[in-house]
Amino acid sequence: MEFQLPEINLQLMAPEIFLFLWALAVMAFDVTTKRKSSSTAGNLALVGLAVTGVIMVFTDQGRGFGNMFFNDSMAVFFKVIFLAAAFMAIGSSFGLTHTRILNHRGEYFGLILLSTVGMMFLASSSELISLYIGLELTTIPLFVLAAFFKDDRKSVEAGIKYLVVGAFSSALLLYGLSFIYGLTGTTDIAQIRSILAHSAVAGFNPAYQESTPIMVMAVLAILGGIGFKLALPPFHQWVPDVYEGAPTPITAFLSVGSKAAGLVAFAKIMIMGLYDLYDPSKAPNDWGILVGVMAAAAMIVGNVLAIRQTNIKRMLAYSSIAHAGYVMVGMLALNSLGLASVGYYMFAYLFTNMGAFAIVALIEDRTGSCEIASYAGLSKTSPFLAISMTIFLLSLTGIPPLAGFFGKFYVFAAAIKMAETGSGLTWIYWLVGVGLVTSVFALYYYANVMRTMYFVETDSPLKVTMSPMAVAVIVIGVVGVVVFGLNPQPIVQFASDMPAALGALLP
Amino acid sequence: MEDLFLTIVTFFPLLGAVVLLFVPANQHSTIKGTSLIVAFVTMLFSFWIYNRFDPVASGMQFEVNLPWVQSLGIDYHLGIDGISLLLIVLTTVLTVLCVIAAWHSVTEGVKGFFISMLLLTTGMIGVFVSLDLFLFYVFWEVMLVPMYFLIGVWGGPRRVYAAIKFVLFTMFGSLLMLVALLYVYFEYQAFAGEYTFDLLKIMNMPLAYHPQLWLFGAFALAFAIKVPLFPFHTWLPDAHVQAPTVGSVILAGVLLKMGTYGFLRICMPLFPDATIAYMPYICILAIIAIIYGALVSMVQRDVKSLVAFSSVSHMGFVMLGMFSLNLQGVEGAVLQMINHGISTGALFLIVGMIYERRHTRMIEDFGGLAKVMPVFATFFMIVTLSSIGLPFTNGFVGEFLILLGAFKANTWYGVLASSGVILAACYMLWMYQRVVYGKVTNPKNQNLKDLSARERLVLIPLVVLIFWIGIYPSPFLNRIEPAAKQVLSHVGKASTVQLNESYEIVDVPVLGASSDDAEAALAELEGAGR
Amino acid sequence: MQYYLMLAALLFVIGLFGVITRRNTIGILMSLELMFNAANINLVAFNRYISGDGLTGQIFAIFIIVVAAAEATIGLAIVLLIYRNWRGIDTDSYSVMKW
Repeated sequence: MEFQLPEINLQLMAPEIFLFLWALAVMAFDVTTKRKSSSTAGNLALVGLAVTGVIMVFTDQGRGFGNMFFNDSMAVFFKVIFLAAAFMAIGSSFGLTHTRILNHRGEYFGLILLSTVGMMFLASSSELISLYIGLELTTIPLFVLAAFFKDDRKSVEAGIKYLVVGAFSSALLLYGLSFIYGLTGTTDIAQIRSILAHSAVAGFNPAYQESTPIMVMAVLAILGGIGFKLALPPFHQWVPDVYEGAPTPITAFLSVGSKAAGLVAFAKIMIMGLYDLYDPSKAPNDWGILVGVMAAAAMIVGNVLAIRQTNIKRMLAYSSIAHAGYVMVGMLALNSLGLASVGYYMFAYLFTNMGAFAIVALIEDRTGSCEIASYAGLSKTSPFLAISMTIFLLSLTGIPPLAGFFGKFYVFAAAIKMAETGSGLTWIYWLVGVGLVTSVFALYYYANVMRTMYFVETDSPLKVTMSPMAVAVIVIGVVGVVVFGLNPQPIVQFASDMPAALGALLP
Repeated sequence: MEDLFLTIVTFFPLLGAVVLLFVPANQHSTIKGTSLIVAFVTMLFSFWIYNRFDPVASGMQFEVNLPWVQSLGIDYHLGIDGISLLLIVLTTVLTVLCVIAAWHSVTEGVKGFFISMLLLTTGMIGVFVSLDLFLFYVFWEVMLVPMYFLIGVWGGPRRVYAAIKFVLFTMFGSLLMLVALLYVYFEYQAFAGEYTFDLLKIMNMPLAYHPQLWLFGAFALAFAIKVPLFPFHTWLPDAHVQAPTVGSVILAGVLLKMGTYGFLRICMPLFPDATIAYMPYICILAIIAIIYGALVSMVQRDVKSLVAFSSVSHMGFVMLGMFSLNLQGVEGAVLQMINHGISTGALFLIVGMIYERRHTRMIEDFGGLAKVMPVFATFFMIVTLSSIGLPFTNGFVGEFLILLGAFKANTWYGVLASSGVILAACYMLWMYQRVVYGKVTNPKNQNLKDLSARERLVLIPLVVLIFWIGIYPSPFLNRIEPAAKQVLSHVGKASTVQLNESYEIVDVPVLGASSDDAEAALAELEGAGR
Repeated sequence: MQYYLMLAALLFVIGLFGVITRRNTIGILMSLELMFNAANINLVAFNRYISGDGLTGQIFAIFIIVVAAAEATIGLAIVLLIYRNWRGIDTDSYSVMKW
């Protein structure tokens, strides 16, 4: 057998390679300097992220490693999100490295960077193996980070729960992917799609025409696996515990970076690979309605359960479940708006959620509490934090002219457009309806936090001292939310190539 | 330069709010002064626009059309016609008066209060000037936030409940509107091959009958909650009673008008068939609102909630006038929107003034105020009469036109609605009598101070407007007329329902000119009632 | 080939059952390994019988083995932490958060 060396195009991977080496360097630096400084490692990590961003500007788009690595507009878009999320997560970690993480700062920051590398790699993968590697490189450092407070029972518990769930979902996903490989004989996602599209019966390898049940099982297993990563019900139970227990900046990173990574994996596998199965006429292989049900459940469960939470991290955890539901509504629209709306939504969510968690982290550093009740009177003692938090919460609710509103609007626009294209797709209207009704619930619990900050009187109002880096993160968040809400055009433009890149073919 | 007018008047208050952000929170007089200047300048801008407005021309004036989010066809499209013009002027005038009225009554969180006020003003003016549906929606929602804080921070004892109820109701309605808006957007794309939210373009799109019914329903629900039309009114009394005086004035004066404005600007031109199909139902709901609001007002013990329920009744008149679908009705409705803003705004201010003195609003706590506070009693009298709709006050002109329109549409509508006028006289005068006349029964009322110069300054412009519109309404009606015709001509394009006579556009005798038969008709009406 | 697939399916179900019912954290980790291996067997079997050309399936399996090892390492490390914090590694013993 003649062995052909695939074309290796290392230049395409330059940002990932750099960031990987830099992560190792950060860890090494911290060890060699005897872990003295509380912020140098963090600053180094920030510099690394910035440099990676610069390198990305000069990196071409194209394919490398024999089609395993594919740098397209979608990859670039999501890489920007990942880098920004990591940047803001690290920025809001400085309080922790002063007070609680005294011994392993280098590892802490290095692992965040490694996880970011994994996400970036995932975004560029166009093939099941590299996709899987990217996914694992994303999550494994996060297991460690979730359990980073070794003596804090909640944190350790969060770590083990996240690990078990993460590994379990990977196993499910792999089991499903192995069948896809078996049915199509390839791991290249583009090839999977063309094989499924051109086969005679409902998109199956002619040799395995009787294998419909296997296909159904594969789709179910994959949806289960990704459902866990995205926290779509019924696979959402781990979210509140892990979010509550993990260090707050890590929670933020989980809620934005890891979620975006899950979305990328979903888009790659389901939309790019199994595109032709999303078709009401191909039931029971049709994964569209299944995902629709999960999205609806996410919006309902997330928003309803968030109402009775008293811990702000748990509340934001449930709200992140709900937001995953909204994003999936956009994901289900396979048209020129669909994936672009998902991209915009994640971009808005990035600024909003990272900013909100930065404030949560600040207040937790100060009071050691994440109870919503401890926010009472914040508007008096620290108007800056109260106003910023209000802006973030309003954006999460979807009040114009903030970015969160435009994201929601865009997602619903994409979904309604999709519903209008096909006769079997009217259920998408119901999905949008669920999204709207649950938005009102969302308003209720977000307003509850604002109520506590502004309306509740307290005898012992909390005083917050702010580190400059945390302020910077919050300001970035506010500016992002306001500016991209008022002027969404640049992001919309940036995201508009993505559906084509994924091969979403509807107009 | 003309292009800039609307942008300036819309965003000047916002600019003021941003400036206020940088004023230290403890410099109360600077904050108040700045907001007064900002509000006053905004008012001057709106007067200037009023002056430059061409009353004869039909269609939109001062239009601005710039791309905003190009790839989705969202434009920054502003423009006004006679209806929006008057509402903008009303908004800016009320804002100035509210700033003055709030001068002493707000003691805590002064900075936040005035920032909220100015933000609210921008939101309200924005709604009235937007000609792009997306922009309209943005302003519509923006104004929720400052209102939430106005009620929630500076309101009465149950303020948090009221604030959240207000926001939840409105949000629910507006989300439905968002979906309908998107549907229209994609329909237009299918129709014209272009993505746009431009209201003027979408107006020209014919829609099938059934989608129209659904879309009208979605928009109408959002607007009806805001109006509020019976049975969606339940948030209103809570919000009004708990809101601070200024909040109530803005709420009654301007916010409720946004609902009726939405019907005129969006529902009726966009969905003419549905408008005609829904007309009888909305008219019936409006009549229920008129009578129900009046009856409930009658049994209120709290002056403020009495005024709040009377708003339900008055807004019922506005809805009835609009959905009479003839020129008299629509013109009357628009004029009545302004009137209601003036008289109910004044009523809330007056209630606020006695509340500041006595810290109670219960009718039974008062009595005999005429002896203690003669000036106050006079102002109160004028405003009460205007709210009832006595000839030579503004309320008369509006209600008369509305009833004229209603009679034309259906005699029964007119008859039933007229009973509302009578009921209004009952509850308002009865309340007035109990508060102002009689002996001073409560010793605490003995030494009340009469209105201060500042308070008189607040009420005088409103009283002037009350008489101006009541005696010489032509300048206002002239400006409303082309716009109202425009709306009705869109409704006239309805394809599925045959127009019968009563929907036709008839030239209305402008009231100022022929007030003789108007008064004769009213005398007849009132005679029948008493 | 069916036999391989059935073996894999059996392993997968045993693993799934184990993850859900096991009370001992180590037991859960072991069950997870079973699930990974089920996928591995599938991949190798498919590689042998379906795609004649290359080694993709086998390469995939090797990657999975490596990643699973990394995951197990971290899992055991966290189990050690659990033991230090609670003096026990049963799932019942360490649930402080309830929803």
